[in-house]
Amino acid sequence: MLWERFQHLLSEMLINFRRGGWGVVASIGAFTVAFLVTGIFLLLTLNLSIAVAQWAEDFQVVVFLHDGNTPDKLTLLRKRLDKELAVREVTYVSKSQALADFRKQLRDQESLLEGLKDNPLPASFQLRIHKKYQTADALRQLAASLKRVEGVEDVLYGQEWIERLTGIIQVMKILGIVIGGVLGVTSLFIVANTIRLAVYARAEEIEIMRLVGATRAYIQLPLILEGTLQGGAGAALALGILYALYRATLWQLGTSAPTIFSEPEMGQFLEAGYQMIMVGVGALLGGVGSLVAVRRFLRI
Amino acid sequence: MIQMFQVSKVYPKHVEALLDITLHVQKGEFVFLCGPSGAGKTTLLRLMLRDDIPTSGQILVNGRNVIRLRENKLPPFRRTLGVIFQDFKLLMDRTVYDNLHLVARVLGIPDTISRRKIGRLLTEVGLLQKAHQIPYMLSGGEQQRVAIARALLSDPTILLADEPTGNLDPDLALDIMRLLADVNVRGTTVVVATHNPRLVSEMGRRALILKHGRLVEEIP
Ligand SMILES: Nc1ncnc2c1ncn2[C@@H]1O[C@H](COP(=O)(O)OP(=O)(O)OP(=O)(O)O)[C@@H](O)[C@H]1O
Ligand SMILES: [Mg+2]
Repeated sequence: MLWERFQHLLSEMLINFRRGGWGVVASIGAFTVAFLVTGIFLLLTLNLSIAVAQWAEDFQVVVFLHDGNTPDKLTLLRKRLDKELAVREVTYVSKSQALADFRKQLRDQESLLEGLKDNPLPASFQLRIHKKYQTADALRQLAASLKRVEGVEDVLYGQEWIERLTGIIQVMKILGIVIGGVLGVTSLFIVANTIRLAVYARAEEIEIMRLVGATRAYIQLPLILEGTLQGGAGAALALGILYALYRATLWQLGTSAPTIFSEPEMGQFLEAGYQMIMVGVGALLGGVGSLVAVRRFLRI
Repeated sequence: MIQMFQVSKVYPKHVEALLDITLHVQKGEFVFLCGPSGAGKTTLLRLMLRDDIPTSGQILVNGRNVIRLRENKLPPFRRTLGVIFQDFKLLMDRTVYDNLHLVARVLGIPDTISRRKIGRLLTEVGLLQKAHQIPYMLSGGEQQRVAIARALLSDPTILLADEPTGNLDPDLALDIMRLLADVNVRGTTVVVATHNPRLVSEMGRRALILKHGRLVEEIP
């Protein structure tokens, strides 16, 4: 009997799918678009967050020094920096080292430096920061306190960039949620309409079943499951397209900018958990949409 | 078996379909509901099936107060009845067999059993060889008999037949009536709505005469 019940569900759903025609295509399509857009935002923010976290980790705070610090003074300064809890590693770069590095960066255009008599570049300490201090606030505080130390000319750090990127990611997240939400609600209405049409198309059959003693659940379940399936299928389809887009993008970036993007951890697709949640939310929205339709258009 | 006490049904815009109906159908009885078009026959049957509720009055079917029937008790209640609808309500997108199968499933009859039962019922109404045809290829009388076979799937305690001889010629109409009488002999209470007084007199059964929503006469 259970098997027959299952068969009944399946055959009813198939009939609805077949009869639904463009309506079914429309509702699956609506879910696909909604989840594709949401997925693109998710994927972008995810990868940007990862990239920013990596940059932040690599980032060094640079403490530029006044010219003419005595070696004793430098030792003192170094001790002062070592004392900072946030600092993991301190490297000294002398004026001549700085100039040599600069020459190396300029490569073919070394002639530009020929006119220079004095070395204009300051000596500096380059600091690596412990992970837990790599927040905008902590870095700002560190920079402010180091700036006040005698012999220090200026302190540079990536706060502005990191803050700006973090801000952009936040905005993208919110945008993604809002747009995804709007599209999600739209798909809900579209699936509700598709199911409503399915109810109309099968009005006679439903009427007969009702009058010979079918329960509400018996009539409604296939319709609700159908909406659930449409929502889930739409979301799954979106994930498939998203993955294809993702691979294509990686490939594009990989050929044009191999040095930056060839590292395998640069790109990351949505985790399996996220994927399941997306399909689940699609199914849920589809189910809710059809439940609404079925509740409104079916009487017992 | 079926009792109605001062039942009235008023549709919106003061359409008084039934007025102060009191009747009693005994267990195992074969009763006609006779009256001209618009007299309220279909409305009365729909109230018995609890497809609708009366504006006032009480209805007992199989000892149940159908007006007060809870939603979860309604489907099981309906499954004890058999209905032949005035418009047949046969689905034209599937075969005769599948029309019956749909109802068998609703009734919770396992496929292995319903296969035999559908075969037996179609044999009984003389339509076994048309089991795999679509109903619209059948004649009116044949469609009528499909509707009867379908109504009998539930082994109903009460069979409600709404104009089961519709536009059939008199001979065919009598055939159908004999079929229903057979069902009645096997213990099912049968209520037949018809606008045809000749049928009533030929069958010689009790008849309740409806006019403008009122019970005006009882034969005999
Ligand atoms: N759902 C409804 N809404 C409004 N009025 C209705 C409804 N159903 C029936 N009526 C009205 O109630 C009256 C009785 O209708 P009913 O269908 O019961 O008659 P009947 O005896 O079955 O007629 P017929 O022999 O033509 O089938 C008619 O005036 C009809 O217009
Ligand atoms: Mg009628």
